[in-house]
Amino acid sequence: MLTLNNISKTFHPKTVNEKRALDRFSLHLGAGEFVTVIGSNGAGKSTLFNTISGFFFVDSGEILLDGEDITYQKEYRRARKIGRLFQDPLKGTAPSMTIEENLALAYLRGAGKNPVFGLDKQSRELFREKLAALGLGLEDRMKTKVGLLSGGQRQALTLLMATIITPKLLLLDEHTAALDPVTAEKVLDITQKIVAENRITCMMVTHNIQSALGLGTRTIMMDDGRIVLDLSGKERAEMTVPKLIERFQETSKKNLDSDRMLLSGE
Amino acid sequence: MSSIAFQGAVELGLIYSLVALGLYLSYRILDIADLTVDGSFTLGAAVSAVFTVAGRPFLGLFLSLFAGALAGFVTAFLQTKLGVQPILAGIITMTALYSINLQVMGDKSNVTLLRKETAFTLAEGVFTKDWAKLGVAFLAAAAVSLALILFLRTNLGLSVRATGDNRDMVRSSSINTDFTITVGLCAANAMVALSGALLAQYQMFSEITVGTGMVIVGLASLIIGEVITGTKSVPRCVLGAAAGAIIYRLIMAFALDASVSPQNLKLVSAVVVAAAISWPAVRDQIAFAAIKRRRKAEKSDADLK
Repeated sequence: MLTLNNISKTFHPKTVNEKRALDRFSLHLGAGEFVTVIGSNGAGKSTLFNTISGFFFVDSGEILLDGEDITYQKEYRRARKIGRLFQDPLKGTAPSMTIEENLALAYLRGAGKNPVFGLDKQSRELFREKLAALGLGLEDRMKTKVGLLSGGQRQALTLLMATIITPKLLLLDEHTAALDPVTAEKVLDITQKIVAENRITCMMVTHNIQSALGLGTRTIMMDDGRIVLDLSGKERAEMTVPKLIERFQETSKKNLDSDRMLLSGE
Repeated sequence: MSSIAFQGAVELGLIYSLVALGLYLSYRILDIADLTVDGSFTLGAAVSAVFTVAGRPFLGLFLSLFAGALAGFVTAFLQTKLGVQPILAGIITMTALYSINLQVMGDKSNVTLLRKETAFTLAEGVFTKDWAKLGVAFLAAAAVSLALILFLRTNLGLSVRATGDNRDMVRSSSINTDFTITVGLCAANAMVALSGALLAQYQMFSEITVGTGMVIVGLASLIIGEVITGTKSVPRCVLGAAAGAIIYRLIMAFALDASVSPQNLKLVSAVVVAAAISWPAVRDQIAFAAIKRRRKAEKSDADLK
């Protein structure tokens, strides 16, 4: 579904601050694969997501999505095929517009909507049904402005918006990190459910090693703009949190510098 | 104030309400301070005056919409494709429009429409002589308000609203912001130009400075409207902008009536703008002072016991 061939991205080239964020990075994801991405701060995880979504273009290499070369396609065009969630729950929704208006915007990507007034009776019914499936009671508040919702509700809504037209790829960039533990758990449950139901190809960045191993079908660990560990199948099933940390140190020949990563792994 | 002066203020308010609606779209919805307005208002007046002289007042009104949209397009092009800051882009277009407006008016700084048929005189057959001006102004304001409310409900309208509401979201959604900003600024300036076009035919002349200070007038109307109707929904905001424009004109008429000399009218309008904008902050401070006072009173009561 997604193929990255030798992509490189360097920030501030030819200055003292030169930083090679992605270094001839290659990755292939099959359809329906759910990959969790771990790595310390500065490993290149966010850069990876930003290049896939088209926030900036790569210096070299190519990106193929479902066979189509999207290396130099503009971000808003890719957004029709790629859904994305950020850590900040405020980034995914328009606060002074209502829940149904936000969903109508997301629904614009799809075929079969009303060409002029997208927020018609039929789509409202669909939105109600989808909102009810979240189990947060939002289906009765469709005319509420999104700015009045809590962070967790907004992130769940963003998730629904990103997947209401099934995307070819879903990018989750630590999308539960800013939520309280109970809400994070709930949003993660909803994520799993939606991804599984629609068989969405998905990449998720997380600092929680436990959920990195527990969720999805494959785990990759990044360091210095490269993949240092790629786990799937039996090898992944037998992996434990302490072993993974040990493995990381072994592979990268350096200690984990991120306290946050260690703490959330306990 | 005489009933004729009152009616005149309402008529002017309805005409100027189109400026407030244009600013609602650019300033409130798109969150762009668009200073093209001073120029596009005059452009609309110039186009309308020239066609009225030629005996085609309705064509003049119609074409002023396109002229305004073109001005908005230039501003939008400067900011979206050439990376000019929004405020600067508007100033550049406004400056260029000064020369263009003079050219439209045949290299003269004013055009008189005395003894010419205008949209208002032609409507006398429908609304009678006394009510023709009010009728035309009301129809124009009502039609544009309704069109704006409907537009903001369309798919494109929703995209325009999201563009101004959350740039982070829109950047990673499938909305092409260059396009939505262009559409918004074109539509906003078309409304502003139509306002200028109506005003030229209403007061039977057009001049090069007719649009000066129009941004402030529009903003004042918009904010007065928001104080009255609130910002709960799009239709409320639209109605508020129109009502605000009328109230603004009434305040000006009262000021004139209270023998404020015409050269001080700009001062009055600046005070009105400042008062309207600061109203929410003043209201909060008054409420806060009341809470503090109550607490102090409760505390001293408790101390006495």
